[in-house]
Amino acid sequence: MSAIIELESIRKTYRSAAVEFEALRGVDCTIQAGEYVAVVGPSGSGKSTLMHLLGCLDNPSEGRYHLAGEDVSTMSEAGLAEVRNRRIGFVFQQFHLLASLPAWRNVELPLVYAGVPRSERRERALAALDRVGLADRVDNRPGELSGGQQQRVAIARALVTEPSLLLADEPTGNLDSRSTADVLGLLDELHAAGRTIVLITHEHDVAARAGRRLVIHDGEIVADHLAGAIA
Amino acid sequence: MSWLDTVRAAAEAVRAHRLRSVLTMLGIVIGISSVILTVGLGQGAQDEVEDQISALGSNLLSVSPGSSTDASGMRGGFGSASTLTLADAAAIADTDVVPDAAAVAPTSTTSTSVVAGETNWTTSLIGTTASWLDVRARTLDSGRFFTAAEVADGADVVVLGPDTAGELVARGSPVGETVRIDGNALTVIGVLAPSGASASGTSEDDVALTPIGTAMRVTGQTPSSVSTIYVEATSGTTLTAAYQEVEALLLNLHGLASADADFTNATQDSLVATANATNETLTILLAGIAAISLLVGGIGVMNIMLVSVTERVREIGLRKALGATPTAIRRQFLVEASLLGLVGGLVGVVIALVGAAALPALIGQPVSVSALATAAALGTALALGIGFGVYPASRAARLTPIDALRSE
Ligand SMILES: Nc1ncnc2c1ncn2[C@@H]1O[C@H](COP(=O)(O)OP(=O)(O)O)[C@@H](O)[C@H]1O
Ligand SMILES: [Mg+2]
Repeated sequence: MSAIIELESIRKTYRSAAVEFEALRGVDCTIQAGEYVAVVGPSGSGKSTLMHLLGCLDNPSEGRYHLAGEDVSTMSEAGLAEVRNRRIGFVFQQFHLLASLPAWRNVELPLVYAGVPRSERRERALAALDRVGLADRVDNRPGELSGGQQQRVAIARALVTEPSLLLADEPTGNLDSRSTADVLGLLDELHAAGRTIVLITHEHDVAARAGRRLVIHDGEIVADHLAGAIA
Repeated sequence: MSWLDTVRAAAEAVRAHRLRSVLTMLGIVIGISSVILTVGLGQGAQDEVEDQISALGSNLLSVSPGSSTDASGMRGGFGSASTLTLADAAAIADTDVVPDAAAVAPTSTTSTSVVAGETNWTTSLIGTTASWLDVRARTLDSGRFFTAAEVADGADVVVLGPDTAGELVARGSPVGETVRIDGNALTVIGVLAPSGASASGTSEDDVALTPIGTAMRVTGQTPSSVSTIYVEATSGTTLTAAYQEVEALLLNLHGLASADADFTNATQDSLVATANATNETLTILLAGIAAISLLVGGIGVMNIMLVSVTERVREIGLRKALGATPTAIRRQFLVEASLLGLVGGLVGVVIALVGAAALPALIGQPVSVSALATAAALGTALALGIGFGVYPASRAARLTPIDALRSE
């Protein structure tokens, strides 16, 4: 197994006009390709901050981050955009779909920025929607879909570029229990198909599906459990 | 992201906020159409003046009293204050002194009432000599012009312009009829053919011509002072020579240095230039005001684009998270702004063309819209969109995906 994520003494300090806040205080962690990792911790502990760094959406204030062997902590904005486009799929708690576009146009967006030709984009978007069980909803706008369906559109969008890493920040936080089960089932399938998944949650039963649990508290990893070690 | 995808995304964004986009474009539409129309009106007025002046004939010099070189001095006609006399005209007619003059026609112009039976019509009474017809390159519709002998005698004869004849005599030819000017009975001996000078209703066709002595007698003017002396050069190539001969002769007769000249000697070209200078000033002023409204339209585009960037922070962040580079985002907003400018410009051009077709009938002014001015206006609209889109677009491009995604 090769390491897909390697974090070395990562620190993240938020600076605004008067206040400075250290959201991550030295995080070291390695995640192997194909792992299903849950990051758990109380609200405000730095989980989302960690996910933004993992997703190259933000730069660490200190420390090194290697993604699939590449040092991304020093990359330019344009370089990071390409890494996000090619290697990472995001699923957010608030879905973050564009309300004006039908489902399939939302799903094809990453392919637009990858420069994939139009006809191929539609084909791949439809395949991804089929994969999440929404083949009959491709032309609906997000407003015409339930929360669970919207989150599945977002998962289809995260899958469409076939990224090796899937980052999900509280993907079930806004869903009822049936939709939660659907989404978690999908993540299980994707993991079984070989994808690396980092799932952020504060719900223990959700975290229980992952093979490994990182517990974060006040910006530090305080525990790293493999499944079965606790039960 | 390909250009085609960028343009498509921009067009979708413009359409998504239809009302707002239309209102934004309105500034550009008004600016572009008013620039095209004001420039077109100025050009139309200029064309008209050029037409009128060139109808005077290309070998023509006109000498008017007063040293003024501005437009008001152009038409002369200072009446009793005139510094030009019949003696001046007679001197110019001397072929030994002014060899390049073919013919000379002094004129004395006043506004007066002409009465035919019950009908009363106010027109320009021009007293002149027999050579006027040739010098002004006019022809007769019916009858004849007065002869040199009639001029010498101050005969009671009159030649009417076609419009004047139409106003005074409802039916048939007025030739042979008697008309009255200030109680003096004059016999109509001829009617001029229409001048053919551009727009109808110009004073060229509403005139009454009499021998110069007759005109001065019936109107009681200072004997021998004239309002304009027309000089026809022997050809277009001798025009400059004739100009210099006339200038030298009159300065000598009046005993003046050229800096103190009490008359204005003008060729057709210089008349056109003088008239155009006035028109141009007005056109530039109006076009300047229109250009300012265009600038305001451009600022409107910038304003709306800034609002749009603020409103769409979440969308921008998401696009960046999915792999949009800063360049792709900047481009999307720039294309959106250019689209607003370009579509606004196109609509403005259409409105201007419709206006140019409809205005002449409404305000009686010709409007001439050139393809070049239209293309330039469109280019300006596009440039405005791009120019005023740069700042909002770079604001969007600089947003970090995190700030954008967290903003709720
Ligand atoms: N942009 C920011 N500026 C200042 N403080 C921030 C910013 N983003 C997050 N924080 C702070 O960092 C801490 C961790 O936030 P976050 O990573 O969102 O926590 P979690 O996702 O675990 O709830 C919180 O205390 C939060 O207030
Ligand atoms: Mg969070």
